[in-house]
Amino acid sequence: MKTQLAMVIDSSSCIDCKACMVSCKVENKVPGGYWRNWVKQREPRFGKIPGAKDPAAQAEGCRTWIIQAPDFDKVKGYGDPGSMHFQPGGCMHCANPACVQACPTGATYKDEKDGTVRLNDKLCIGCGCCIPACPYGARYRHPEKKIVDKCDFCAKRRERGELPACVITCPTKARTFGNINDPESDVARLVKENKTVRVVNEETDTEPNMYYVLTTAPMNWPRKAESPTPIRWWASLAKPLVWAVVGLNALGVLVMFGKQLIIKDEETEK
Amino acid sequence: MATKTDTSISRRSFLKWSGAATAAAVAGGQAPVLHSLAYTGEKSAGSEPEYHFSACGMCLNKCGLVARVENGIVTKLDPNPKFLKSRGMLCARGNAGTSQLYDPDRLKYPLLRKGERGEGRWQRLSWDQALDLAAEKLTKIGEEYTRCGVLFTPGSDMQSQFVHWFAEVFGSYNVTTHESNCLLSRNRAYLDTFGEVPFADVLHSKYIIMAGANRFESIITPDSIDLMTAMKKGCKLVVLDPRFTKTAALAHEWFPIRPGTDMSFFLAITHVIIHEKLYDEKYAQEKLYGLDKLTEHVKKYSPEWAAKVCDIPAKDIRRIAQELAAAAPAAMIYPGRRTSDYVNSTQIRRAMAIANALLGNWDKPGGLLAARMVGTTGPELPEAPFYDDNPDDRLDHGSAHIMFDEEGSFKHTRDAIIAGKPYPVKGWFTYKINPLQSVANRRKTLEMIDKLDFMLTVDIAMSDTAWMADLVLPAPSYLERQDPAAGLQGSSACACVVTRDPVVPALFESKPVFWILRELAGRMGLEEYFSFTMEEYREQQLRKLPDSERALREDGVYYNPSKLYGIYEGKIYKTKSQKIELYNERYAEMGLDPMPVCKPLRENVPSDRFRMVVGRNAYFTHCTTQNNTLLNELMPENTLWIHPNPAKKLGIRDGDAVVLSSKSGEGELKAELKKGIREDTVYMASGFGVLSEGLTNVFGKGACMAEILEDFTDELSGNMAMHETIVKVARKGAS
Repeated sequence: MKTQLAMVIDSSSCIDCKACMVSCKVENKVPGGYWRNWVKQREPRFGKIPGAKDPAAQAEGCRTWIIQAPDFDKVKGYGDPGSMHFQPGGCMHCANPACVQACPTGATYKDEKDGTVRLNDKLCIGCGCCIPACPYGARYRHPEKKIVDKCDFCAKRRERGELPACVITCPTKARTFGNINDPESDVARLVKENKTVRVVNEETDTEPNMYYVLTTAPMNWPRKAESPTPIRWWASLAKPLVWAVVGLNALGVLVMFGKQLIIKDEETEK
Repeated sequence: MATKTDTSISRRSFLKWSGAATAAAVAGGQAPVLHSLAYTGEKSAGSEPEYHFSACGMCLNKCGLVARVENGIVTKLDPNPKFLKSRGMLCARGNAGTSQLYDPDRLKYPLLRKGERGEGRWQRLSWDQALDLAAEKLTKIGEEYTRCGVLFTPGSDMQSQFVHWFAEVFGSYNVTTHESNCLLSRNRAYLDTFGEVPFADVLHSKYIIMAGANRFESIITPDSIDLMTAMKKGCKLVVLDPRFTKTAALAHEWFPIRPGTDMSFFLAITHVIIHEKLYDEKYAQEKLYGLDKLTEHVKKYSPEWAAKVCDIPAKDIRRIAQELAAAAPAAMIYPGRRTSDYVNSTQIRRAMAIANALLGNWDKPGGLLAARMVGTTGPELPEAPFYDDNPDDRLDHGSAHIMFDEEGSFKHTRDAIIAGKPYPVKGWFTYKINPLQSVANRRKTLEMIDKLDFMLTVDIAMSDTAWMADLVLPAPSYLERQDPAAGLQGSSACACVVTRDPVVPALFESKPVFWILRELAGRMGLEEYFSFTMEEYREQQLRKLPDSERALREDGVYYNPSKLYGIYEGKIYKTKSQKIELYNERYAEMGLDPMPVCKPLRENVPSDRFRMVVGRNAYFTHCTTQNNTLLNELMPENTLWIHPNPAKKLGIRDGDAVVLSSKSGEGELKAELKKGIREDTVYMASGFGVLSEGLTNVFGKGACMAEILEDFTDELSGNMAMHETIVKVARKGAS
């Protein structure tokens, strides 16, 4: 079976120390103000939970407190939505990536070898069509390189046989990484042994390869993947053409031209 | 035997540890971008990175790391997967170590103050000029005011021991460390109960009460990581904290306790355990001293009584006591670390220690552990000279009931310097410590500095303390220097030894404090006391661990497979009664409460005021890493946590600028409305509101904790009491 690299995340282990974010930032030279990955948090619901059940507790003059439920609401199979938790994430390396569809030059592509969603720096013209196409906000335009940047599951590290920077550094090992199609892998085992969910936008399921163990209720935050219709049409038309041009080595000129346009645009905005 | 360890690792062995991940085709990487250096070269094709072991220096934990070096630049720090104490992790700060190394704000060469203190006018000196000047000034103060006229304040660092040694051979007993601002009251309490300061076996515990500690944000290895692992295995965590920390967020139960009343809670826990006979009677008879007296003492401290004091329902206190006792001995009240909070902190922690004693958890899995044997030995150093004109004691001698002589009390030392009594102190040597930010009552620290003839600071960056100094000497980061070996206690994870060799050469003109001290010693006729090299020193430290050199070279860490549990079997406790002291005879003899007595708070919070509490987050080490570019992005400024209800009364909205004031000083920062804090309490993070313009990321941001906090101290240990300050909060512009 084909390799599909994936991440399984146990949000209930995450202590929100942000080690994964800083590790990623250093490894991938992500500029200040931008991130390739993140830790989101669910805000707690404060209330007099035990007090409500027990008026005697309030009679003692006690103030507001909450008691968190360690036994999550088993009926729904989700964690207690009233409790706070931290949810790490990043590019989900979707099986059906909207960003790939939105890319007019074929710079963003699904790597056949390992199933990651990759970006070819040389083909990216920095148009940014893929940015709103990602339901997870996993892409940004690099302010110096003037092209789009995103997580590649630390391709360079993997080439050296190392784990992604966010995975290896995590204190509580909330992030597990591997080939989901290999039944012997840790990720496959975790998915098999636990109830897991994939966080998707209801309207645009991009089939992410990031699984969340259901010890916490994942937050419902992905936005609808947006890909402007003309771009989609143009992309479908242009892609085969673009790939053909690669061989002719004429693309460099095109890319340079494109980049200049973008840079100029931004300069005039300033 | 040479102990210099070549810490470069073969690529193969590194790959072996880092876990085989699927290799994949990749596009070419780009050259490292280092804004601080003139490095612009492209990476030469096919050059292999080098890997070096080291130990992190971003906080005190010393986590094992592997540094990746490409073309002479440290491009990445990863955890050493063989390093058990940290469970093979590196936190955000550890990952940001490269940003400390390549920080454009680093001190680059010796600087001499030219203008007024704090004016920021400096003259660059050569090292010879700087060292000549320092030696001359220190000698002059020593001659005029005795050698004790110089105060030494080393921070928590692997080379700090050389500052202690220098102070000793120079002849000053006046050495204060960070400890009197941190954990002395905890140490006092546990020493006076068990005869030893314990390590918590969090990993094997089934029930943990955490009060006055925030282990998921204030990362201590292995406790922070083990706490999560233990919880995954079913350990229950109960957190008492006036604010909803991330530890509280992840706990099974959180109680926003009234600040300063933890003693009442633990006396009530003890009350329940004793009166419901939930303790092991045989154990109590054999090991505990004073149970009869304690039984009588806690009679009045019922859960119903405590509920009114601490704001936690009686039925919860009773239930928690029962659950805790049912899980014993694999249960604990977590001893905590920074306990510099109240004027009676030692007695508060005594109440916790006593409850621990009743759980019978000492020296047992899931309980409190004695120090394990690490095996490093103190180097044989020549006998320090004797100066017969020196005064009899430290400056702060006798200023608290039971102080630690070797640590002193910064607060009492500072008061004595300001008063000039019992004798004048006119010199101050600080190394990698930042009292201007970390010690309560900044105005007093400034007043103390005004009394000095000469202040010398050795640090990596222009901290607020360096900013006030006369002479500032640049030190290298932990990645650029050779350090002694350090023995570490890792609870049930390990007892281990780490060391450091330079991963890259020291940048700019920075020099390690060891070199600085040796140079000073040479200029002051003390060279015979600093005649050893770092290699020789380390060799002596490791002389009883023949395998350590190989282990440090091959694994970056040496483990001593020493005994973990049952260390006290058949042994006496190092207390007066030779048992675990519920009742402390020595306290009774000194006229102190032999058992903790719950007294009213020093000051109640008026309805229009707040109690200020301080505490850690996972990004900053006290007052030292806020200016680190990578970490600063996680929290660019500090805010004032305030509950929406009182905020509404004061007309404060989220993000409004507020003025926070106390009897000590005032500061301005933004309000952050948080339901997760008691209505009578406010909180702010440390390390902002800086004086130093040399900290470009944080200058002008937020407020300074040390400016607001009043300088109360724990009566027994002389430890700072940082939660005794009552503050006023007003929207900026509101009268």
